[in-house]
Amino acid sequence: MANGEILAGFLAPHPPHLVYGENPPQNEPKSEGGWEPLRWAYERARKSLDELQPDVLLVHSPHWITQVGHHFLGVRHLSGKSVDPIFPNLFRYSFELEVDVELAEACCEKAAQRGLTAMMMRNPKFRVDYGTITTLHMIRPQWDIPIVGISANNSPYYLTTEEGLDEMDTLGRATREAIEATGRRAVLLASNTLCHWHFHEEPDTPEDMSREHPQSYDGYKWDMRIIELLREGKTAEVFRILPQFIDEAFAEVKSGAFTWMFAAMDYPELPGELHGYGTVIGTGNAVMEWNLVKAGLAGAAAIPPSAAGGREAYAGAMR
Amino acid sequence: MTAVSAFLVPGSPLHLLRPDNPPWRPIIAGFERAARALAVSRPDAILLYSTQWIAVLDALWQARPRLTGTHVDENWHDLGDMPFDIRVDTDLAHACVKAVKAAGISSKSVDYDQFPIDSGTIVATRLLDPDGRFPLVMAANNLYHDAATTMKMAGVAAATARAQNKKVAVVGVGGLSGTVFREPVAIEQDRIAADSDDDWNRRILRLLEKGETGQLDGRIDEYAREARVDMGFKHFAWIRGAIGGRFFGARVHGYGPAHGAGAAVIEFRL
Ligand SMILES: [Fe+2]
Repeated sequence: MANGEILAGFLAPHPPHLVYGENPPQNEPKSEGGWEPLRWAYERARKSLDELQPDVLLVHSPHWITQVGHHFLGVRHLSGKSVDPIFPNLFRYSFELEVDVELAEACCEKAAQRGLTAMMMRNPKFRVDYGTITTLHMIRPQWDIPIVGISANNSPYYLTTEEGLDEMDTLGRATREAIEATGRRAVLLASNTLCHWHFHEEPDTPEDMSREHPQSYDGYKWDMRIIELLREGKTAEVFRILPQFIDEAFAEVKSGAFTWMFAAMDYPELPGELHGYGTVIGTGNAVMEWNLVKAGLAGAAAIPPSAAGGREAYAGAMR
Repeated sequence: MTAVSAFLVPGSPLHLLRPDNPPWRPIIAGFERAARALAVSRPDAILLYSTQWIAVLDALWQARPRLTGTHVDENWHDLGDMPFDIRVDTDLAHACVKAVKAAGISSKSVDYDQFPIDSGTIVATRLLDPDGRFPLVMAANNLYHDAATTMKMAGVAAATARAQNKKVAVVGVGGLSGTVFREPVAIEQDRIAADSDDDWNRRILRLLEKGETGQLDGRIDEYAREARVDMGFKHFAWIRGAIGGRFFGARVHGYGPAHGAGAAVIEFRL
């Protein structure tokens, strides 16, 4: 199999508040709503993803932290209840997911070939992190597309930001090679918040939106500057100032998902589509899409005519 | 005296999961001696703080009466599972939340099925109290708390135990130097990754053994910075806060590596 390709990349942050606000059956705590503009942003992203009909979703999450190497989920079926350690009052979510182990193994192998320490996670009792689960729920609540889960090696924190992000760049290139080699039609999800300055106390009613606003005006201005550049497709400029953004806005993109995704897409100077922006407990979150099919940068691999039907059969098997 | 014993122990899952690995034997042997000392001190509860239980909003206190399950470490998942069965002194935990809040540190209890229990807490409870004889009170490591806040919190927790007429064993769970190997290393070849880290660890262990609190106070910030100490050695601040600042020396029951980082089992003389 060959001719796999990346169809699109999404900036898809993971505040558990968005799941809580939506009240899906999988989540125990119930809310009166909240964070609607961001949830509506995800609604648009869901539609777009649906049209792309990918074979697989790849997600890089800052809340699976590994010290020794970059790890890939490598167990076909994983399930459990995910409780957010920071917001257990908002997120206690029962999940079940299927992993594209063949692609994960290819990513791991390609990363190792490029000199990274890379390993497969084969323990069936492993608890998938809440960042991965939140991002996946928000972009595809049906859970009917296999996934590849990638850990955030702590290199940007243990080494310098630049050295760490260099590793994420290599990881992204390896991911692209693996997708091409395995013939997958893939969508990438960078599970990252932008400005990460946050409040230190939660309102009694967490979804009381009269209490929600940017924690820092400087952080907000940074987010707007980055989003504006992304909307204009000035990718090189974004990556030139990224270390400064990370330092001054305490941006979660430091953990590497954003760099991994752009490296895998080969840093296209393509205007990103902003589905929406909003704050969650003061942090800045943008849902954005880079659709390589619409831009004519992908789409050579034909959509199998049976794709939609196949997915339904797959969802049936999951139940 | 409320604190009847106090221990600083490592929270790396490596020692628990591969106790027979030669470089890790000294830590396991140290845990065995510390476990005996803890049992002999006959506490009513264990006041435990693990650097790996991370909080960012409030000071969190575990308040679920019984925690059971199987944990798999985020990084060392290939070495196996860590089942746990932990009892919590919920009266004391709830009282700590109240008292710490009253002392000006925003605090909350957590009582949720399947709440993630960190590797450090599991390692320490399994190796220090293998039969689960003593109930626990556990506080999270809030990343925004400095050593002074951590000390204050621990002091309030100990005072709260005293008010309930309870004797406590104090446990700080965390590592020493933090330079680690970035690549896999055969476990039987494990060693402290940097000689300078090893020197620093030994210097600090000597000061602890002698109970040189004055000299320690002057050096801990430098140690934390130069040897990349786990969470700035806040687990030591927890112990000091709970025992009222002073101790008369310490016994290092074991010292060794954890994939390049420094680890020690230390019992304080109170
Ligand atoms: Fe996050």
